[in-house]
Amino acid sequence: MIVAHVRGHHTRPEELDEHARASWLGRLDPRAKIVGVVVFVVATALLTQTELILASLLLAVSFGAMSQVPYRHLIRMYLGALPFILVASVSVFLFSGLERGFDMWARTSSCVLALLVLASGTETFELFAGLRRLKVPKLVSALLMLTYKYILILGDELERMKTARTARGFKGGRGLLDGRGLRIISYTAGMVFVRASARADNGYEGLMARGFRMDMKQMRTSRLEAGDFAFMAWFACLSSLLVMFQLGVIQ
Amino acid sequence: MRVLNVKALSFTYEDGTPALKDVDLTIEEGEKVAVIGPNGAGKSTLLHLVAGFRTPFHGSVSVMEIVLDERTADKVRRHIGLLFQDPDDQIFMPTVEEDVGFGPVNLGLDSVEDRVSRALRSTSIEDLAKRKPHRLSHGMKKRVAIAGVLAMEPDLLLLDEPTAGLDPRSRSGLIELLRNMDKTMLIATHDLEAVAEIVDRVILLNGSIVFDGGLAELMAQDTVLEKAGLEPPQISKLFKRLRGMGYDAKVLPVTLDQAVAETVRLADREKGRSRDRKT
Repeated sequence: MIVAHVRGHHTRPEELDEHARASWLGRLDPRAKIVGVVVFVVATALLTQTELILASLLLAVSFGAMSQVPYRHLIRMYLGALPFILVASVSVFLFSGLERGFDMWARTSSCVLALLVLASGTETFELFAGLRRLKVPKLVSALLMLTYKYILILGDELERMKTARTARGFKGGRGLLDGRGLRIISYTAGMVFVRASARADNGYEGLMARGFRMDMKQMRTSRLEAGDFAFMAWFACLSSLLVMFQLGVIQ
Repeated sequence: MRVLNVKALSFTYEDGTPALKDVDLTIEEGEKVAVIGPNGAGKSTLLHLVAGFRTPFHGSVSVMEIVLDERTADKVRRHIGLLFQDPDDQIFMPTVEEDVGFGPVNLGLDSVEDRVSRALRSTSIEDLAKRKPHRLSHGMKKRVAIAGVLAMEPDLLLLDEPTAGLDPRSRSGLIELLRNMDKTMLIATHDLEAVAEIVDRVILLNGSIVFDGGLAELMAQDTVLEKAGLEPPQISKLFKRLRGMGYDAKVLPVTLDQAVAETVRLADREKGRSRDRKT
């Protein structure tokens, strides 16, 4: 699950992380999950028939329901991505009509949902380590991990600054006309970046001090088991069916 | 063998603020040395510099006879275990044992599992092996960070404020752990009481080295302490006050054991005096 390996993240994501480990999805090898979901996403991206796109969306929703990832978390994450999905869908709608716009929404939602379930049903480090073991270049996987860690540090520092601000009676910034409030918010944003940058430097030095050379290595490596193969086969079959219907191989 | 050799070391921050000036320091194998000094004295900078994280600098730094520069920094760090002030800067992996094994795996060292077991055992956190590090207390995180450093089996341990932010029980546990550890170490700290328990040599740093010797010797130098803005431990203050009251305290104790010994000596002396008065 997209979670915190850094300080202070004793909140919902961490609970979800514990949850991920306990669920059947969380116990699968991350490589199997990545391969299965990516195959499904690629197949969905190729679909143009509305019925097939809806079938794909239904499959993605079923995957989410079976994954044991808390549905509220999935809905919240999906709502976070929705503005981006809508921008794409509305653009298509404006230029190509309602049906194409709807297809775009359903197709993108299906892909996003499947990826959200993958990200939410896998511990962060496992996810990046899985990518690395799938031969994603070490620089790319290390940068993903470091970027993710930096985002968490940013969030952490922002929470601290907000607490410190509120503790000293700040209530401004509620409207665009509150100049002082907006100025304080902009100072806060600046400080958050400065502090997060200093902490990120320390974290990076911490990694370097322990021999890190931009490659996420693991102490133990796992082997793919029957369940992992079954998961990949299941997604491969569903994706193949969708594509064959699309291509007219199956009527 | 000489583990660390620092000669005429000077370092200035990017904004032009001088941090260290003409620092000379040698540490022999097995020595435990504390660097003390007020805030901004350059203690952490010295540690980070020795670990190859602050360049460029003037002067020379050698660790295990490898001269430190930008090209050799990685090689030098293989001999160094740096413990950060905040363990969260150091802990990275999802479980304690994976985090402890992080360094050895990166360095391609052999018998990683054995190293991890030994490090967990020596820091008494074997039962935490499968736990999530970010769920642990600050004191336990420090132990995890120390275990991570020990698993690399470095020749020189650099510890930045190891007792900072710990509750009394965790602090005394950590002090005992460091005292019993058979390692060459350089500790940057404000905690004079911990210094008294762990090390046998103290360096007072205030940009440059102001004092190099034993802690008891330093406690007797009021002017040096005052100039550096340092407060002696409460026990030393107590015996200083007793001296002022006319008691013949020969040494200024810095540890509880020394204070007990000195108190017994003073009590015996007073007992002898009152016996003499009676006869």
